[in-house]
Amino acid sequence: MISSKTSAKGGRYSRSGLPVRFENVARNFKDVAALKSFNLSADPGELIVLLGPSGCGKTTALRVLAGLEMPDSGRVIIGDHDVTSLPSAKRNIGMVFQSYSLFPNMTARENVEFGLRVRGQSQNDRSSRSGELLDLVGLKSQSDRYPHQLSGGQQQRVALARALAVQPEVLVLDEPLSALDAKVRSSLRDEIRRIQLELGITTFFVTHDQEEALAIADRIAVMHQGQLEQLDTPLAVYTNPATEFVAEFVGTVNRLPGRIIDASHVDVENVGLVEYKSDSTFAAGSEVEVLVRPESIGIREGNDESCRILAKSFLGSTIKITLLDRTDRLISVAIPTSDAGLVEGVEAVNLYSRGQALLVKGR
Amino acid sequence: MATIAPDLTPNTKTSGNDSSDVLKLGRPFRYIVLTLVGLFFIVPIVSSARFSFLGNHNSFTISAYTQLFGTAQFWSTLFLSVKVGVGTVFLTLALLIPTVVWVHVRLPKLRRVFEAISLLPLVVPSVVVTLGVITSFRGLPNIIYGTPVILSLEYVVLALPFSYRALDSSVQSIDLKTLVEAGQSLGAGWIKLLRFVLLPNIRGGIIGASILTFAFCLGEFAVASLLSFTTFPVFLVQVGQLAASQAVALSLIALLFTWIPLAVITLVFSQRRASRSTVVADE
Repeated sequence: MISSKTSAKGGRYSRSGLPVRFENVARNFKDVAALKSFNLSADPGELIVLLGPSGCGKTTALRVLAGLEMPDSGRVIIGDHDVTSLPSAKRNIGMVFQSYSLFPNMTARENVEFGLRVRGQSQNDRSSRSGELLDLVGLKSQSDRYPHQLSGGQQQRVALARALAVQPEVLVLDEPLSALDAKVRSSLRDEIRRIQLELGITTFFVTHDQEEALAIADRIAVMHQGQLEQLDTPLAVYTNPATEFVAEFVGTVNRLPGRIIDASHVDVENVGLVEYKSDSTFAAGSEVEVLVRPESIGIREGNDESCRILAKSFLGSTIKITLLDRTDRLISVAIPTSDAGLVEGVEAVNLYSRGQALLVKGR
Repeated sequence: MATIAPDLTPNTKTSGNDSSDVLKLGRPFRYIVLTLVGLFFIVPIVSSARFSFLGNHNSFTISAYTQLFGTAQFWSTLFLSVKVGVGTVFLTLALLIPTVVWVHVRLPKLRRVFEAISLLPLVVPSVVVTLGVITSFRGLPNIIYGTPVILSLEYVVLALPFSYRALDSSVQSIDLKTLVEAGQSLGAGWIKLLRFVLLPNIRGGIIGASILTFAFCLGEFAVASLLSFTTFPVFLVQVGQLAASQAVALSLIALLFTWIPLAVITLVFSQRRASRSTVVADE
């Protein structure tokens, strides 16, 4: 164990996390490949969010890391140690599950103390540690309650405290917020991030909620069909998606036809000249498909041939507008609420580009 | 909305009236049903008790009981039945708890299959099961084969429909897989998981299975008699052929023997439950 040990005062938590590496990990369930040569490496103290649709392999990756699932091939390395063949109980990984993982026969305090109890720590050490952790998650006053006497959010806090009590080398969270209602979800999300930063523990967080991923992650690992599509910061994943899948899964995109003008400009139908960057080179005049975010399209007063407004939905800071062009193609545009006047009492509008295209691909 | 509302109102009204009618009718009706059911169970017991205390010329006597208690066979057969019962309970738990846990954690798809197997003793005639068990254990040393241990082996199989169900449903009521995984990730091996997590959470099922199995052992006649063991029920039948009032006294004693532990355990458990759920979460 490399994490710092509990001393009498100070040094309560491990200060420096460990690097974690997946090397060519594969896992099959009967005919289905849940993970196909999965590679990922996390820096010490980093919070990596595994994001993807259901069945993309994110939970399998997490379970392989936690030792609850054995990979068919490949290696899992924590720090300098190859833990691939180590059983879960010997890995020293703190895990928070989706829900209902607290031991129903134990109080919150006893749940938090469980890991220390199986390690044979004295009652005194156990209670001071569990006190600290319940304090950390803001539940000290509820420590004698049983799980069924706690709300869903409180239960997940206890589960977090329980996972942290054993000073794990890595923390893994498997959709810990998905069973909670929206308000609790966002506040607990921020709290998990606060605690994770305070402890500096390398953390893996699985979710299918892109907003959650963007808000909490140091880096997002977008997964698709058992493979890593992109590993990058939330901003980079959103503004510079590596693949079409990433562009479509994180945020919303419009797919519009266009014609290449030169190496950095494309003429997009209805929108006009749009800037782009691409690794592949397209000949001028070639027909392409252009992926554009709704907020990268601006609106101005229209003429007869312009797009018709089909629907407007007010989302607080932005207004989402659904348009229909002459060829019956749907276009989604998001404008700041301060520009609401532009679409007030208007039926048709013209579009212009307000940012770069996400991706350009040949047709 | 306005057009729908008038249509809905009469409906809700009538349904409301219906349910309150049932409630009004319900109270006396409930007591009548309860009384009838109570009588159905209590009358035979009270009559038996009365009969067992009946002496010559309708006098009151406890001689049926004193004579029984003075018989060596009463104590020896009772002891044998209790011994076989306790042995069966332990064997059942030792076999079934790991089985049920394993099926739920590792082979959830086979749950139905195991359930079906556990019900077989209800379908297959008990004589067939008895002979099957005897044949299977024929090779074993005499210490098992020639002693009441074989009876315990029989009863483990015959009580399976009750014991397996009780355990299975209590495991079903908790999210066993997640709890096991949570425990493992916290560093607990199987023994600690069993002791601190599994057993406490399926205690209700364990107690239910134990009571059912024990009661089954204390009342089983056919197999014991077939295998020529004079257990308590076999003794009861033998006595019944000679002295009717003693046989009735004996069955009352047997009844008490299964009732008292059952009542005590039920009471203890309902109190524990109640004290646990008194605090309600306030957010």
